[in-house]
Amino acid sequence: MVSYTYGKTLLKVDDVSLEYDGRPILKHVTAEIKDIICTDHVQGQVVGFLGPSGIGKTQLFRIIAGLNKPTSGRVTINGLDRPVQAGEVGVVSQDYPLFAHRTVMSNLMLAANQKEKDERTARAKVVQYLTEFDLLDKASLYPVQLSGGQRQRCAIIQQILCSEHFLLMDEPFSGLDLLMLEKTSELIQKVANMDDLNTIIVVTHDITAAAAVSDHLWLMGRDHDAKGNPLPGSHIVETYDLIERDLCWHPQIITQPRFVDFVREVKERFRSL
Amino acid sequence: MNQAIEVFSPNRVISKQTVRWMVGFQLLLLFFIWAFSPTVFLPKPKEVFQALGEMWEEGLGGELITSFVLNLEAIALATLLSLGMAYLTVIPFFRPIVTLLSKLRFLSMVGLTFFFTLMASTGHTLKLYLLVFSVSVFFVTGMAEVVASIPKGEFDLARTLRMNEWRVVYEVVILGQADKAFEVLRQNAAMGWMMLTMVEGISRSEGGVGAMLLNQNKHFQLNAVFAIQLTILLLGLAQDYGIGLLREVFCPYADLTLERK
Repeated sequence: MVSYTYGKTLLKVDDVSLEYDGRPILKHVTAEIKDIICTDHVQGQVVGFLGPSGIGKTQLFRIIAGLNKPTSGRVTINGLDRPVQAGEVGVVSQDYPLFAHRTVMSNLMLAANQKEKDERTARAKVVQYLTEFDLLDKASLYPVQLSGGQRQRCAIIQQILCSEHFLLMDEPFSGLDLLMLEKTSELIQKVANMDDLNTIIVVTHDITAAAAVSDHLWLMGRDHDAKGNPLPGSHIVETYDLIERDLCWHPQIITQPRFVDFVREVKERFRSL
Repeated sequence: MNQAIEVFSPNRVISKQTVRWMVGFQLLLLFFIWAFSPTVFLPKPKEVFQALGEMWEEGLGGELITSFVLNLEAIALATLLSLGMAYLTVIPFFRPIVTLLSKLRFLSMVGLTFFFTLMASTGHTLKLYLLVFSVSVFFVTGMAEVVASIPKGEFDLARTLRMNEWRVVYEVVILGQADKAFEVLRQNAAMGWMMLTMVEGISRSEGGVGAMLLNQNKHFQLNAVFAIQLTILLLGLAQDYGIGLLREVFCPYADLTLERK
């Protein structure tokens, strides 16, 4: 087992509630992500965020991204005493958004310039990422000229260039074949491990894929009354620490029986939500 | 043979060469129908081209320039005003005002002309006001719809890139919709030529091709009317092509996903 310790809190969801027209959507959601410190290698954080459809994942996703304000509570990052602001947490939606009127290079320069004012340094950083993600020859193309995978990588680079090491990915495994699913998992690991502070939250329905890339899993659901009817307002009902269970950072972990057992356990809990 | 079948099959993308042949054939057919039409009142091509020569000698070229300049001025002003108004719909305060402006497209010029006459100092200014008004009410409607239909995701993308709301407007609404703005301009600039006849008929002080057309029509000189219409059509097509070219130069991404380019 790899030796590790937990450092400071990087992201904190602090008693977040959300109501629409008096109807509770999120109720006292509390969670946090701590810096995982491994002395011998760079180790970022990956959290799998699971929950059934319509449970309010997207709403919490938008609040964490600073795009929506909660009714009460707040999300903070890096120990700052203020709510997260849009732009501090990168967002890669399911359709891999990019500006259609800009080329790949222009899209990335736009993001790089938001943090790095020196044009030459910003360009060097963009070229470095394009090389790293095998996209350098696509720099002059427009987003519609890219394949789905290239577009996804480009959207990820754009958000990393601009955010504070945080990246929210909405359904990155949706509709992918086995090969692409493996590539996307590798990509998530690669991005997470580019910097100790890199923190990725993967919102998904795919329990196996989420467990394979994550060090922690958040399971979102609703409480039930005595008759078994769901009560309004979702929250994180379960948190799984995969490091503690020695289920992460192992190549080919998904073939291990204990991983299969773990996924079964999560699936059973998922069904009860 | 295969190409011939393709041009009659739905959703087929045909080669540029085939397009040239097809359009050439259709123009020839149109010319043939025109030349041999049994309709008594429809002037024959020879008569129209003869009239065109005569009209040219009578100063059609100069009148065309007058109208073209007027139309260009009107389009430029209408574009500035309409784009400005449409972009202002990002601010809630301006939305009802722009909605009201767009509803004015149902109004006839009758009656309104009086007020424009009071405001204008010269015939040229009157025509300019009338044209700008007529084009703008349609232009602003089209462009405001473009702005309203921008998906939320595009605004969110800009916000996740740390842009303030004014920068979001510039990136998403102005730059991001430039290709659509060119398209709306293209349609409304064509409408300008249609309105021109009416406007130049209201104030004939400067002449212009519209006044010339109305004069000829009044005297039932159909050969001359057709000759002037043909000239307007050619000029309109050139203008349309020019705006299309500008769109291609400034927005090369616009048609990349289209099946028919």
